[in-house]
Amino acid sequence: MRELIRELVETYGPSGVEDEIRAVIRAEVEDLADEIRVDPLGSLVARKHGGDGGKRVVLAAHMDEIGIMVSYVDEKGFARFTRIGGVYSLNTVGDRVAFSNGTVGVVGVEQKRANATKIPTLDELYLDVGATSREDCPVAVGDSAVFVRPLDIQGTRLIAKAMDDRIGCAVLIETLRRLESTPHDLYFVFTVQEEVGLFGAGTSAYGIDPDVAIAVDVTGNGDTPESYPMAVALGKGPAVKVMDSGMIAHRAVKDVMVQRAKDAGIPYQLEVLARGTTDAMAMQVVRSGVPSGCLSIPCRYVHTPSEMVDERDVENAVCLMLEVLRADL
Amino acid sequence: MEVILLLKQLSEADGLAGYEEPVRGVVSETWTPLVDEMRVGGLGSLIGLKRGTGPEPRPKVMLAAHMDEVGLMVSGLEKGFLHIAGVAGADPRAVLGLEVVVHAERDLPGIVATRPPHVIPSDERQKTVPWDKLFVDVGLPADQVEQLVTVGDLISIRCEMAELKNRRVAGKALDDRACVAAVTLALEKLAKVNHVWDVYAVATTQEETGLKGATTSAYGIAPDLAIALDVTFGNQPGLRDTEVFPLGEGPTIAVGPNLHPALVDHLKSVADAQEIPYHIEPVPGRSGTDAWAIQVSREGVPTALIGIPTRYMHQPVEMLAAQDVERAGRLLAAFVASLEADFLESIAWPESEESE
Repeated sequence: MRELIRELVETYGPSGVEDEIRAVIRAEVEDLADEIRVDPLGSLVARKHGGDGGKRVVLAAHMDEIGIMVSYVDEKGFARFTRIGGVYSLNTVGDRVAFSNGTVGVVGVEQKRANATKIPTLDELYLDVGATSREDCPVAVGDSAVFVRPLDIQGTRLIAKAMDDRIGCAVLIETLRRLESTPHDLYFVFTVQEEVGLFGAGTSAYGIDPDVAIAVDVTGNGDTPESYPMAVALGKGPAVKVMDSGMIAHRAVKDVMVQRAKDAGIPYQLEVLARGTTDAMAMQVVRSGVPSGCLSIPCRYVHTPSEMVDERDVENAVCLMLEVLRADL
Repeated sequence: MEVILLLKQLSEADGLAGYEEPVRGVVSETWTPLVDEMRVGGLGSLIGLKRGTGPEPRPKVMLAAHMDEVGLMVSGLEKGFLHIAGVAGADPRAVLGLEVVVHAERDLPGIVATRPPHVIPSDERQKTVPWDKLFVDVGLPADQVEQLVTVGDLISIRCEMAELKNRRVAGKALDDRACVAAVTLALEKLAKVNHVWDVYAVATTQEETGLKGATTSAYGIAPDLAIALDVTFGNQPGLRDTEVFPLGEGPTIAVGPNLHPALVDHLKSVADAQEIPYHIEPVPGRSGTDAWAIQVSREGVPTALIGIPTRYMHQPVEMLAAQDVERAGRLLAAFVASLEADFLESIAWPESEESE
C-alpha cells in the first residue's frame, strides 16, 4: 500500500481543484468498480454491486486537501494569499507551496510586523515565487497551491502533507482491491470540498440516497507532549468515532464497527474528538437522515505540512472495513 | 395529563443528543393513544401523525419540539478517574459538583469534580474550569473502572425536577422537553376538536448538535406549514430586559426573517381570539432553533416559532412556568383547529398571486 499512499499524498488537489487527484484515484479504481461516475460537484463515485438483500452503503473519503489561494499580487511580484480550509500561519512560515502548473512559492513573513514575538497573522505573510514584478509573476489571483512535502517513512510511521485525507482514500482503494464478496451495494465516494464545508459528501450522499454511510478520515491524538487528554494514540488501531464537534455517530453504525473489530481480533480505539468533524456530519442529515459513522486514522500534526500516521493503523482500518462490509448491516 | 407530572417525566428521562432512546420511549408512550400513526425517522426523531378530516390530499402541518438534551461523555480514563467531554453544548460551568450516572458496562453513580480551590494557582482561580480539568469519579478502584468503563460511554445528569411556588418548576432538559409537553397537550386537545389538516407531531433529535433531527424530519414529512417550539430566555439578573421574557405571562411568538410574516399574523390572531397572553419575540437573524432548519427544507416551508420563557438555560435548574406550557399547548391546538383546507392561499405571497 506504500506506493499507493505515496502517489496519493504527493498529488496536488486543494479544495475546488481536485481534477489531478481525481484522475489519479480514477485510474486506481476504474478496473475494480462496476460503475464509475463524477457527480456535479466533482466527487468521484465508484460503485460495486452486491448481492440481493444488502444495504446501499456509502464509504466516503475526501480527496481535497487544505491549501492557500492567491488574493493579490503586488507590483514587485509578491503574492498575498488566503487560506483554503484550516491553514494556520504558525505552520506555514518558511514552507514551500506548489501550484498546479508546478510553480513553487516560499511563504515569507513581513520583517517589520507590529509584534515580532507573536504568531503572525495570515495578513502578515506573503508568497515569494521568484518574480520581480506583477507582470512576470507566474501566479495570478485565484490560483491555489498546496504544501510541498514528499512521503517519508520511518519504521511504521508515514509522514507527508495531505494525509488528511488521502490516507482515507488509500483505505478505500485498498478495501476495494481486497474486497471479495459483499451483500451490499457499495459506493466508494471520493469527495470534494470537505475542507471548506463538507460540500461534496452532502451532495454525493443526496444523489446516492444510501441506507448507511461511513466516512474514513483522520482524527487527532492524545499521545504527544502536553497534548489535550484524548484517548487516541498512533499504532493502537483505527479509531471508531463516537462523537466529534460536529456530530454524534449513529449508535448502530458505531456498534457494528466495534463488534466486527472484536470478533475479528482487530485492534481499535474509541474516539471522542473535541475539535473537528468529517464528511459523516454532512451525510447524516441528507434527505430523511442517514445512519452515519466514521472510521478514523489517528494522525499527529493534522493540518500541518507534516501529518503523521502509523502504517499499522492504516492496515487495520482496511481489515476492519472489509469485516464490516462482509456481512449484514 | 397534568402538566407538572408530564414535565417531571420528560425532564427526568435520559436522552442525550444522538442517544435519545430513553426519552423517546416516554414520549412514544404518551403519544400512542393520541395519534393515528407513529414512526421513528432516520436520525431517531419520533413522528406522530394525527389525521385531519379534510378531503385527501390533506395539507400537513408539522409541530416540532426537540427532545435531546446536553450531557457528558467519557473521553478518557486516568488512574480510575474519567475524563469527560461535553455533549451538545453542555456548559462546563454548570456541571461541577453534579451527581451523574455513567452508562458503562452497567450504570455507575458518579460525581463531577475538579481540584480543590486551595491548590489552584491564583491566576486560574478567576477562570472557568476547563473541560480537561474536570473529571468524573465513580468511587471504584482503577482496575474495576477500566473493566467497566469505555471511552465514548455516555454520562447523564441525575437530577429530580423541583416543584417551586407559583407553579414554577426547575430541572434539567426542560430545554426543550417543556415544548414536547406543549405539543403533547395540544394533541390531547385535538382529540376533542375537529381539525381539517393532518398534524405531524415531531419530537426531534440532535437539535443541540445542529438542528439535525428537524432537518431530516422536515425532509421526510414535507410539511406545508410548520411550527417549531423552543425555550427562550426568561427574565433573570444579568440579562438585558430587552432580551428576556417574564415567566408566567404566556409563550412568545417570534417575528423576523426566519418566520413567515402572514403565518405569524395568523398565530397572533388565534392567540387573541383565545385570550391567550403572549409576548412578541424579535428574532432579527438566525433563530438557532428547529425553525431555522425547517424553514429551508426542500422548497421552503412557512414556519413560525413559539417560545417558552425559561431561566438558566443549559443548566440543570432550567426554570419555567407550567402555565406557559399549558398556554403554548392551547395555542397550538387552537391554531391547528383554525386551519381551513385553503389556508395556504391566505398566506401566499402577493407576488405569486400576480404571476398566476
